[in-house]
Amino acid sequence: MVFKVLLGISVAVCVLGVLYRLACWFSQGLQPAGSATTTSQRVLAALGAIPAALFSSALFRMVRTLFVDLVFLKRTLDKSLLRWFAHSLIVVGFIALFLMHALDSQVTEAFFRDYQSTLNPYLFLRNLFGVMVLVGLGLATYRRLSLRSKRLRSSLSDWAALIFIGVIIFSGVLLEGAKIRSYTVYQEMVDDYAAFSVAEDELALEAFWVAENGLRSPNFDLPPAAELIAQGIEVNEGSCIECHASNRYAFASFSLAGLTSPFTALLGDAGAVAFFWYLHIVACLAFLAWLPFSKMFHILAAPVSLLIRGVKGDAPTATPANLLNRQMIGLSACTHCGACSLECSSGMFYEHFHNDFILPSEKVQYLKRFAAGKEKDLAVAKQMQQGLYICTSCDRCTTVCPSGINLRELFVHARYHLLAGGAPETTLLSHFSFPLALARQHATDHLLALKKVTELFRKSFHHLAELTSPLGIGNTGKDFPHTSFKGCYSCQRCSNICPVVRSYDNPVETLGMLPHQIMFSLGIGRVDLAMGAQMIWSCSTCYLCQEHCPNQVELCDIFYSLKNGAIAKIEAGA
Amino acid sequence: MKKFAFFLGCNIPIRIPQYATALTAVCQKFAIELVDVPEFNCCGYPARNVDEKAYLLPSVRNLAIAEKHGLEILAICNCCFASLRKAARVMADSPGLRAEFNTLLAKENLHYSGEGKVHHFLAVLHQEVGIATIKTQLTKVYSDLKIALLYGCHLLRPRQITGFNDSFVPRIGEELLEVTGAASLDWRGKMECCGAALAGINDTLSQKLLTEKISGAQAAGADFITPVCAYCHLQFDTAQQHLAADDPQRTILPVLLYPQLLGLCLGIDPPRLGIEQNSTISPAQLQALSDQLQVPVEKPKRKQKKAAATP
Repeated sequence: MVFKVLLGISVAVCVLGVLYRLACWFSQGLQPAGSATTTSQRVLAALGAIPAALFSSALFRMVRTLFVDLVFLKRTLDKSLLRWFAHSLIVVGFIALFLMHALDSQVTEAFFRDYQSTLNPYLFLRNLFGVMVLVGLGLATYRRLSLRSKRLRSSLSDWAALIFIGVIIFSGVLLEGAKIRSYTVYQEMVDDYAAFSVAEDELALEAFWVAENGLRSPNFDLPPAAELIAQGIEVNEGSCIECHASNRYAFASFSLAGLTSPFTALLGDAGAVAFFWYLHIVACLAFLAWLPFSKMFHILAAPVSLLIRGVKGDAPTATPANLLNRQMIGLSACTHCGACSLECSSGMFYEHFHNDFILPSEKVQYLKRFAAGKEKDLAVAKQMQQGLYICTSCDRCTTVCPSGINLRELFVHARYHLLAGGAPETTLLSHFSFPLALARQHATDHLLALKKVTELFRKSFHHLAELTSPLGIGNTGKDFPHTSFKGCYSCQRCSNICPVVRSYDNPVETLGMLPHQIMFSLGIGRVDLAMGAQMIWSCSTCYLCQEHCPNQVELCDIFYSLKNGAIAKIEAGA
Repeated sequence: MKKFAFFLGCNIPIRIPQYATALTAVCQKFAIELVDVPEFNCCGYPARNVDEKAYLLPSVRNLAIAEKHGLEILAICNCCFASLRKAARVMADSPGLRAEFNTLLAKENLHYSGEGKVHHFLAVLHQEVGIATIKTQLTKVYSDLKIALLYGCHLLRPRQITGFNDSFVPRIGEELLEVTGAASLDWRGKMECCGAALAGINDTLSQKLLTEKISGAQAAGADFITPVCAYCHLQFDTAQQHLAADDPQRTILPVLLYPQLLGLCLGIDPPRLGIEQNSTISPAQLQALSDQLQVPVEKPKRKQKKAAATP
């Protein structure tokens, strides 16, 4: 009764949870401003894509994905044998236990008429599958700990998933162990199945079970005598063996049964069995209820994500509605395995900037909150914006993701979604912008974001053209990393050779100051003026000025330092 | 067989894979093995405008990885090359910063001693292999091919860092082209910027600089442009397509990468060189290129004449 109520609650929570997550697929998302799509449009778009995939050459690719990526997990195997092995052990062991053991009356009995949980191979297999899962969990834990130094981040929910499954399996093993030792359980079995011709058979059978099957009996404080055991073997063969194989086949439970003794001491043998039964059942049912709200939802979402990838590849999604659908399916398919962060080409930028969101796996974790509209903290949004922007667009994360999430597309959209409403992003003025310009996506959004940040620079620094009072002498200071500007004697060769200066009819107006003027302002200690010159952001970094300078002034390197300094100053809130 | 750690950077594997496959095929001919090193990360270049240390650290890790493998680095992309060279120079000059970075790298059991070597593939072909050896391997040469070579800024300058060749009058590219029978044109823009560094920051200016290079090469009568740097390649092979999409009047200047150009002369199949993956080159142009390949003929007469003229 208790079990049925608990089961009912947990199944209900699980089903409602799954429905909620599915509803999120079609209602949430990160979209750049001005491209609103409704839930009904999104459902229709998703439904529309299904027949198109089923009745085309894509069907073959889907079937291939089903076997190669889903069943065989090739994408995982390609990158890490350890991880593939761990995941396979857990999945195979867990599913086998679920079908053979949890659903025994529905599944196993349907296929095997003579099924008895106490008979082989079931008795043995249950232990084998359990040990497979436990070994898999051990390897997964080892992986998470050993790869910490390589920027594999583990969150509470990762450990929770491992612990949850561990508790399910381990409590099952100990439940069986407690039953093996329990005198109460033994007596019930004897009452139900045994028939004794002579009175001493009863003691003989008990002696045999104590000696061979791990039973703890109050009648045998010392090991039973050999003759009695020999007699017990015969009784066992007569009464038990048809329905109960030797407990030694339950190798894990048999050898770990000793762990239950403190519980037996405390609760009595029947109490210990009941305790582990409740622990096992509650763990299983709680896991079921927790599944849709955790990363374990990937059991449902990752196959969908992989199938979409099998059909569409990593190419940009055609319709805005399906783009958002794929985004949400992707976000829910993430297992936080960290494969993307291990591969990430920006790993060292993470080490320098100490921004977790530079790592793709951490971006995904938090983007779920942004997609749900839950993240209101502006500081987090700014950090995420920078994390999304400090990306070399090498696409390694997308190539490696075992769940087939189109991370590239997700990140690019999230980037412009945040930039549209967020604070000016200084890293926009870096070469991280190059691949974005090349891809020509979100061109208008990019320009708007660029305008925001250039405006901020304009406001933050002094400009030569706007000075009304005479130019005073300042101090370039010891912090400025260059001294070669002191060698400038204003021959203007730099400005004359500069391809950027040459590009404008009135370069001073557009660029604020020309290269030689910037050297001059540094010479008189006006770093602020130099940092405010548009010239430094228009520098093509071709190094012609530096190479041609007759007095070895390192102009281009100085421009880099000015850009670094200007960004630092702005970020510091100056 | 000489081995190098093959540094591909971020652009080549995903956007210009043909550059890597073509170079690998060419290097095989000269018994040079390019070892793929998946642990390499970004060279740091994209962060250079933002923070100097953020720019240097990634390359120092790359140098440490190469050191762990006991290999010297061979780079294709000029910006990767210059960033790695710059990092190596800074590490050699500032032990303090090296110690700081090494503390960070120690987390991954990496260490950089400060003695890494970084080569550009053109220099390896020119010095390690040598023009004379290349010549012996040529099965065909071009009879009439005019190439606008674009060295790219960060290969030549600043010379103290790149140490590539004479930064004012480089000869390496010229000689590597001449040995294939191709003519290296003198053209307006040869030593200048493709505009890539400004893309996404100042697109108008970036496109202006790119357009200058395209028209400069076309005015000199170039059949193809041969950019060296990955960024330059993307400017000519992708950004040029965007310019043409906006202005259909434009004539596209097709891109041919040096390992592709040399590979054809070494008898390597065009598909292995990935020439058709260059988006600007048409099948007809590729055909015309293959058609003009001829078996090299020694010119003994001239040599005799010269020999006769000397005394």
